[in-house]
Amino acid sequence: MKKRRMFIRMITASLMRRRSRMIVALLSIAIGATILSGLVSIYYDVPRQLGAEFRNYGANMIMTAADGSFTSADMEKGKKAVPSAELVGAAPYRYENIRLRENPVVAAGTDPEQARAASPYWLIDDGEWLQNSGELLIGAKVADSFRLKVGDDIELSFTPEAEREAAAENKTADDNYKTFRIVGILKTGGTEEEYVYMTMGDLEELTGVSDKIDLVELSVSASSDKLGEYAEDINLSVPSVHASLVKRVTASETTVLSKLQALVLLVTVVVLALTMICVATTMTAVVAERRREIGLRKAIGASNSSIIKEFMGESMLLGFFGGTVGSVLGYVFASQVSIRVFSSSISFRPLLVPITIIISIIVTGLSSLMPIRSATEVDPALVLKGE
Amino acid sequence: MFGRMIRGTLFRQWKKMLMIAFTIALGASLASAMLSVMLDVGDKVNQELKTYGANIRVVPKSASVLSGLYEVEDGGTGGYIREDELGKIKTIFWTYNIVDYAPFITVDAALENGEKVKVVGSWFDHHLSLPTGEELDAGLESMRSWWELESGAWIDEQKESSGKEAMVGTELAGKLGLSVGSRISLAGKESSDTFTVCGIFDAGGDEDNEIYIQLDNAQALGGLDNKVDSIDVSALTTPDNELAERAAKDPKSLTVAQYELWYCTAYASSICWQIQQALTDCVASPVRQVADSEGEILNKTELLMILITILSLIGAALGICNLVTASVMERSQEIGLMKAIGAYNGSVSLLVLTEVFVTAVIGGTAGFFAGFGFAQIIGHSVFGSSIALRPMVIPIVAVLVFIVTMIGCIPAIRMLLGLRPTEVLHGK
Amino acid sequence: MSLLELKNVYKIYGELHALDDVSLKVEKGEWVSIMGPSGSGKSTMMNIIGCMDKPSKGEVLLDGVDISKESSKNLTTIRRDKIGLIFQQFHLVNYLTAVENVMLAQYYHSIPDEKEALEALERVGLADRAKHLPSQLSGGEQQRVCVARALINYPEIILADEPTGNLDEANEEIVVDLFHKLHNEGTTLIVVTHDPEVAEVAQRRLVLRNGKLAKEVINENFTGKIRFTDQ
Repeated sequence: MKKRRMFIRMITASLMRRRSRMIVALLSIAIGATILSGLVSIYYDVPRQLGAEFRNYGANMIMTAADGSFTSADMEKGKKAVPSAELVGAAPYRYENIRLRENPVVAAGTDPEQARAASPYWLIDDGEWLQNSGELLIGAKVADSFRLKVGDDIELSFTPEAEREAAAENKTADDNYKTFRIVGILKTGGTEEEYVYMTMGDLEELTGVSDKIDLVELSVSASSDKLGEYAEDINLSVPSVHASLVKRVTASETTVLSKLQALVLLVTVVVLALTMICVATTMTAVVAERRREIGLRKAIGASNSSIIKEFMGESMLLGFFGGTVGSVLGYVFASQVSIRVFSSSISFRPLLVPITIIISIIVTGLSSLMPIRSATEVDPALVLKGE
Repeated sequence: MFGRMIRGTLFRQWKKMLMIAFTIALGASLASAMLSVMLDVGDKVNQELKTYGANIRVVPKSASVLSGLYEVEDGGTGGYIREDELGKIKTIFWTYNIVDYAPFITVDAALENGEKVKVVGSWFDHHLSLPTGEELDAGLESMRSWWELESGAWIDEQKESSGKEAMVGTELAGKLGLSVGSRISLAGKESSDTFTVCGIFDAGGDEDNEIYIQLDNAQALGGLDNKVDSIDVSALTTPDNELAERAAKDPKSLTVAQYELWYCTAYASSICWQIQQALTDCVASPVRQVADSEGEILNKTELLMILITILSLIGAALGICNLVTASVMERSQEIGLMKAIGAYNGSVSLLVLTEVFVTAVIGGTAGFFAGFGFAQIIGHSVFGSSIALRPMVIPIVAVLVFIVTMIGCIPAIRMLLGLRPTEVLHGK
Repeated sequence: MSLLELKNVYKIYGELHALDDVSLKVEKGEWVSIMGPSGSGKSTMMNIIGCMDKPSKGEVLLDGVDISKESSKNLTTIRRDKIGLIFQQFHLVNYLTAVENVMLAQYYHSIPDEKEALEALERVGLADRAKHLPSQLSGGEQQRVCVARALINYPEIILADEPTGNLDEANEEIVVDLFHKLHNEGTTLIVVTHDPEVAEVAQRRLVLRNGKLAKEVINENFTGKIRFTDQ
């Protein structure tokens, strides 16, 4: 009992009264532990975060009608197959041929918020995003060919099914009209530039036909295997809908994401290995410095095992403190990285704290074991005489 | 004598000096590995992102306004790019950043049963020998990496017998009951011909209902000699910034200096601008889905690597600093002795600094090469290609090692200068 | 039976005979000093008696046990139980206080007891400096801590290697007086020294030369009285 108290007293004395040296050692261990816990947190979080970045490529799954068209109820049913946490956006689209200044144009009705989430790469070249009824977002090519600009009011017309025959027979068809204000010009570099976009409600009003969807674009943050499962689920549970993957996006994402993960993994491994060796050399130096003290302890009767026990106890205690400090700093670092790079917070992994501490203890323990052993094997007389 | 003393420490105390050199080498290798990877990661990831396909699309000027807006029956409004100009794409300022491109010509053709199908003519693995001496295999095989071949193989343009081969989309093949080896005859506007199906692909898009044949075959079918209706270009680009966005709207709004900067940076918009200037009557525009996302991912990856690099540099610096301090302090006895026999503070400091410096040079050099090796391991195992040696890494690592070791010496030297020889020599 | 007996001890390093056929007996309670110039084999002999080294040839009997045949682990135990060491450079653990340094010896021997350690410091006249670190103590004070540490476990022999080598005259006197005190209490003392003044106060003086015992002088005037102070 008494002996243990002396043991603790000696270790605390060594830690407290040799402060500058211990701070050197502690600092080095803490840096090692910071790098360990920081990089491991990043490594675990990067796939998720980068996966989210890849959603910038837009929809990776689309739902089309198995036959003709489908309703928003079908869409909602289909969406249920995808966990809401993974669903970045689900934008319904309905395409109709309408007329703009008596020229045919494809109009798309959509849910503006969802469309924006599902296609983050869409650029509003001028003006702002479509929000309300009565507003119109037009593709850059449409704007170009009709010389339209933001703020213009324009009337769109649509010939309902029933009136088509009349039109064909060169009679005046009874068209539907609606006036829109152009709020933005859309640039994508793709066919979207040739369309005009309005809210689903406006298109329904213009056409007089409601609850009809041609296509749903889904942006789902999941691996392509999982996406395949979701698509199958949808196809089984909602017969009126056919879900399929956008191969171009999913296949490429798998390739690139796996490379990026491998990159972060390898970088983590290399940095960790080098840092741990660095910590080990510092600990070795710190312990090697105390050869004389070890010799003295032997001379006054300490057995090798008790010396090893004391010095290891001290190193491991340092390892414990260093690991604790490091796991906190590592989390701070990782969350800073996450905020700066991905503008999202990182999840705290409680398991990482004990792991960091244990690894710090093991590294410091092992790295001090060697010099301690070599010092205990030397004759105390030699050590005491000094080199 | 000074040199002899230095040699004495380095050779006789080689174990301790080796330890310092080793730690400096570790730190330097960490720094150079991370810097090399960081500086190269942009290019590497950019290459990887090429799997998403073209980031620039070139269309004829007239078509860019009209195509798709009017469903013109005869499949064209007369606007075409000239095939003989295709080579010019590889003559622009950023020619080496253009890694791949493929022209397309779409013609409508009728099958034997009269059904109309869309036939696309393109390059598959077209071999280009450029006037610059560069050799390039360009075409769909690399630009449509996500196409899954359900059976058969890609059209091999380099094969003699490949002349009349066709690749068919999976849906169309299913509808027509085609398989590899089947023969289809296509009647175009101008001529008709018979092709052998050599591959059936699943592209997960509209292409699944199309037939792909070689460019000249398609031109013959449609009577569109030397005509191309769009070009997909895959280029390595720098993520857009504010300057690039402004330039994309109107390059003429820039000042001369800004224009120079923009023109000489591989922004998607400046590459587009250069392509537009090289080809007659065409409009090149970035495919935002690819170009914009590429920019995002590149920026994030680079920033991530920069932060990790900074962390490891700090780690390496503190590690070196620590050990140098610890090991110089350890020599207090020897230095006390020197002071006792009459060394000035200045000469003692100079001696210690020189020793540490020589060690640092040795350790730093070894570490630099080791670190470059680590970078190669990362490069080869992740990207399958080596990481380029950036000359700027050398001075950065050198300066870093120098500053860090010197900083590491400061507390030790301060302590040594404060030493009183008697205290040291008479033990503690 | 003598407490310590060396029988024809040799210590040979290659060509060099550091100890050359040395035989010696030390009785319980005796105060012996060993003198000799540098290289005469003093340190070697001290290391052998202190169980820190083994002879190449010959027997070393300590309390009837031949320590030249023991393993180094047993030597540690014997050293711990039977020998108290005093060094020229004091060798105190610099981050432990005076009393903790004394307790360190107890710790390795049996059980640390702060009260007993304080008593030991009181015996060497350092009770008021028990809580000081070695760096806050003078050379003489440090050496007295070293003495307190050596005698805390009631060793059979106190072995001092140049105990006054690093001390000024005043402190030297204090330490020599301490030796007298210990001698009067019945402790066996073996003091290796250069200093004739320190050597001469012992009961018996051995002179080593080239590894051989060259001279043995019995101190006729030995009184056992404390010479310098009346402590």
